[in-house]
Amino acid sequence: MKFKHFLTVAGMALVLALPFAALANEGGAALKHAEVNTADRDQINRGLTVFTEVCMGCHSAKYVTYKSLIDYPEIGLTREAVDELRGDKPITSGLISDLSPEDATVSYGKVPPDLSLIVNARRGGANYVYSILTGFEKDPDGKIPDGTFNEYFPGHRIAMPDPLGWLDHDEADTAVLEAQAKDVAAFLTFIGDPHQNERHAIGKYVMIFLILLTIVLYLLKKEVWKDIKH
Amino acid sequence: MLEKMMKTKLFGWIDERTGAEAILKSQLTEYQVPKNLNYMWNFGSLALLVLVLQILTGIFLAMYYKPSAALTMGGYTVAFDSVERIMRDVNFGWLIRYMHAVGASAFFVVVYMHIGRGLYYGSYKGPRELLWIIGVVILLIMQGAAFFGYLLPWGQMSFWGATVITNLFGALPVIGGFLQEVLRGGFAVGDPTLNRFFSLHYLFPLLLAAIVGGHVHALHVVHSNNPTGLDVHEGKSTIPFHPYYTIKDAFGVGVFLLFYCYVVFFNPQMGGYFIEVDNYVPADNLQTPPHIAPVWYLTPWYTILRSFESKLLGVVAMGASLAILFLLPFLDRSKVRSARYRPVYKQMVYLFFITVIVLGYCGHSAPTPTLKLIGQIATTYYFAFFLLLPFVHKFEKTKPLPEEI
Repeated sequence: MKFKHFLTVAGMALVLALPFAALANEGGAALKHAEVNTADRDQINRGLTVFTEVCMGCHSAKYVTYKSLIDYPEIGLTREAVDELRGDKPITSGLISDLSPEDATVSYGKVPPDLSLIVNARRGGANYVYSILTGFEKDPDGKIPDGTFNEYFPGHRIAMPDPLGWLDHDEADTAVLEAQAKDVAAFLTFIGDPHQNERHAIGKYVMIFLILLTIVLYLLKKEVWKDIKH
Repeated sequence: MLEKMMKTKLFGWIDERTGAEAILKSQLTEYQVPKNLNYMWNFGSLALLVLVLQILTGIFLAMYYKPSAALTMGGYTVAFDSVERIMRDVNFGWLIRYMHAVGASAFFVVVYMHIGRGLYYGSYKGPRELLWIIGVVILLIMQGAAFFGYLLPWGQMSFWGATVITNLFGALPVIGGFLQEVLRGGFAVGDPTLNRFFSLHYLFPLLLAAIVGGHVHALHVVHSNNPTGLDVHEGKSTIPFHPYYTIKDAFGVGVFLLFYCYVVFFNPQMGGYFIEVDNYVPADNLQTPPHIAPVWYLTPWYTILRSFESKLLGVVAMGASLAILFLLPFLDRSKVRSARYRPVYKQMVYLFFITVIVLGYCGHSAPTPTLKLIGQIATTYYFAFFLLLPFVHKFEKTKPLPEEI
């Protein structure tokens, strides 16, 4: 009887899990995998440099303030470094691009999206960012002009000009560009949810505490119920 | 511990003025519960726990959240910005917000288990008809509260989900247009919608708290069903709620918190199931997302809606699929409660559980002709399950019931 119950529960769990497994495979062109470590201070700082020197030409990250670049231990810039970075912008300002939305519309036909949450807002997250940055190819059909064809962008035609110069790069630079794309993907993953490392760290203690608590409660339950035949 | 507490002078003073001792005795230490309840009976207390968690975390979120669709830089809004401020700048705001977002899904997980248990063991049957009906009211209010809450971050899914659902009311004849306008506070989902949804999102949990009180009260009048479905009489078959079931529920809480905290701390978006990917994109009334789907706990009903070509029929079917739950106690005529002793009903109810999961899957996925057909078949069985119930007892050979539990 008990085993039958177990089978029932296991069967139900399987049925419940099926849609999850099916959905995991959804999504068209497979993205390239980017190894990112949001606890790696060096990688995030390298990504920040790529972000401020390349991405911020057009994109902003308005939820990330200059002050937070000092406060987040994963970035930990000095006050002097931040002062140099921000120029005459206030320290409470977000990382705002100097390109105005009006100028962007004139130049690119649309306003570049804010990147604070881009990793959360795209299926594939960091892999998506990495794939897009290293996805500028020649259109196999020859229809979309060079520099606006991206293998991983839905519909392939992308308004963003090849930011890292991937399309015509020398073989020798491949590793450097790939590293830059990964670093900035790591930075964007970090700022998408800047408390994630803290969350994981606290979570470990929470789980250990709950396991102990649950064991104690189970033993207590057994003790209280020991005289009940059922 | 409780007995000791009841003997103190302070408690005596309170008791003289409130009758607290009689309440504690009748509701806890002398409230009789069948001794054979299995762990499926833990989900009621878990639902209460999640309700309290949702109310507590919600109160703190409301201290920082700003219900305004006024535009800010980059196509965001004051509402979206305030949620991100909670996630980034408010001390432990991320924890409170993830607890609330994951809690919404957790609430439906435990309540769906609770309802499934009631279906399987026939807990809806006399004398517990009203207990069941109050429960269905709770489910409807929960779904409303969840729907209102999902608009608040003002992301793409918030906006388009609310647009699709409020559109449904427009399909109703005569009053449809009026209802839709009242819900939206205008001709389209906008700032007035956000404000009234926030107000209602605060109101509905208060209603829930009151009605849950009624649910528990009704339970304590008719007492718990049990896996055998037999009427139990005080004595050998029952034990007092406290300490036996308080400790068993506490153990259940421990197990639940393990799952809940794992998701909160390590996977709060749950791969886009608990917080949808598109909801990190700010609402844009000029750009419809490629695929609009409600959060997982509303998808079974969404499939029923989509299974009909006519919008009006779909809306009516969706309403009927929820309304028919009210009639369940009167549709099932069998004298035997538990599916343990009802071979036909047992198959039917298992198939019903699978059907609801299939409906949920269809509603979550982008529509394809195959999925639409599967959804229609599942919808047919969803209603067939209820409509066959009045006849099942006529040919079902029930197994012999045990004398005692």
